[in-house]
Amino acid sequence: MNEPFGRASYAYAVARSFDPAQLAGVRGVDGAEVRLVRYRDLVAVVSPVPLTEFDEAALRTKLEWLPWLEATARAHHAVVDAVATSSVTLPLRLATVYRGDERVTEVLRQGYRRFRAALDRLAGRVELGVKVYTDPQAMAPAAGPSASSPGRDYLRRRRAQHRAHDDAWQRAAASAERVDATLAGLAVDSRRRPPQRQQLSGVRGENVLNAAYLVDAGRTDEFAAVARCLDAEAPGTRIELTGPWAPYSFAPPDDEEPA
Amino acid sequence: MNGNREVALVDLLDRLLAGGVVLTGDLTLAIADVDLVHVSLRALIASIDAGEDR
Amino acid sequence: MTANRLVIDDDTIERDLVKLVLTVVELLRQLMERQALRRVDKGDLTEDQEERIGRTLMLLEDRMTLLRERYRLSDQDLNLDLGPLGPLLPR
Repeated sequence: MNEPFGRASYAYAVARSFDPAQLAGVRGVDGAEVRLVRYRDLVAVVSPVPLTEFDEAALRTKLEWLPWLEATARAHHAVVDAVATSSVTLPLRLATVYRGDERVTEVLRQGYRRFRAALDRLAGRVELGVKVYTDPQAMAPAAGPSASSPGRDYLRRRRAQHRAHDDAWQRAAASAERVDATLAGLAVDSRRRPPQRQQLSGVRGENVLNAAYLVDAGRTDEFAAVARCLDAEAPGTRIELTGPWAPYSFAPPDDEEPA
Repeated sequence: MNGNREVALVDLLDRLLAGGVVLTGDLTLAIADVDLVHVSLRALIASIDAGEDR
Repeated sequence: MTANRLVIDDDTIERDLVKLVLTVVELLRQLMERQALRRVDKGDLTEDQEERIGRTLMLLEDRMTLLRERYRLSDQDLNLDLGPLGPLLPR
């Protein structure tokens, strides 16, 4: 099937084949309708985008403009989410674009075995995200006795602040290791993601652990309950749970990458 | 699954820019995952700056 | 939308420069403070010296706060370390 001149295929995910009716009404980037490209028992989920808007120069500009980045990321995620409720799904990274559906079919053909193997490993499983933060309250030192000399007072305060900060950090880091060890025991696989910068997330406290766990779909309630327990047990830290997600963090490692 | 509106942007970008399968697309050959992550940082900081200037 | 972006860029050129300068000043301030605290811990300083160094650092911090407020820069804005997302690539 040839694309009309100037249209490219934006690809969201590769999945085990499913009924396209499940995606009725699902809109992708720029509100375009989403469709399936089939190869044997696999599908790629795509939507049309203008070729000129997704070449490297255009993309670099758009990626630095937050409104576009956010709208595109949310549209991409909405499609991946919809697919994941219908079938085992391998999410693709943002901005994977092909010159047409024929190319997409070719990609499926070339990577068929690896896609199948990856999907088999992910079947019946979801990703849960866990973030551990320091507690900013715990990092504020108690006020000490005040000396009559403001300069020395100041040094004393600053020293106490440094100590409190370091202590809180170490406590949170130790707690994070325990949390990770416990939760990994409930999961099939786990990955550490880079800690999130406070400047980006805007939350209070520093992100000490940012981890993803691949969990059997039937165990997510248990996993969440254990995470809540751990949160309650660990003063001076805060644990946040996100998900379930399609398995973004459990894509095949580089040396096994399809196509 | 996550309702889209409840998902924090930072968590979304974390996964969409540095997660997922990396396929060699036709139009994004030169954009590596590292570049995308740096770019998102610039975009977010620029948006924070812009917000404060208003 | 492009026009908006251009306006914002003009406004932030001065602010970007100030941010850069204050980042360096803040780094130096933190280094001096840590060194002062180490000397206090070691007992290197007389009470009088402690008092004078403490006051100087205190004044420095007040000045930095004023400058940051004037340019609406948070603590995090002056953080050189960009963490695991890596350094900003130069344009």
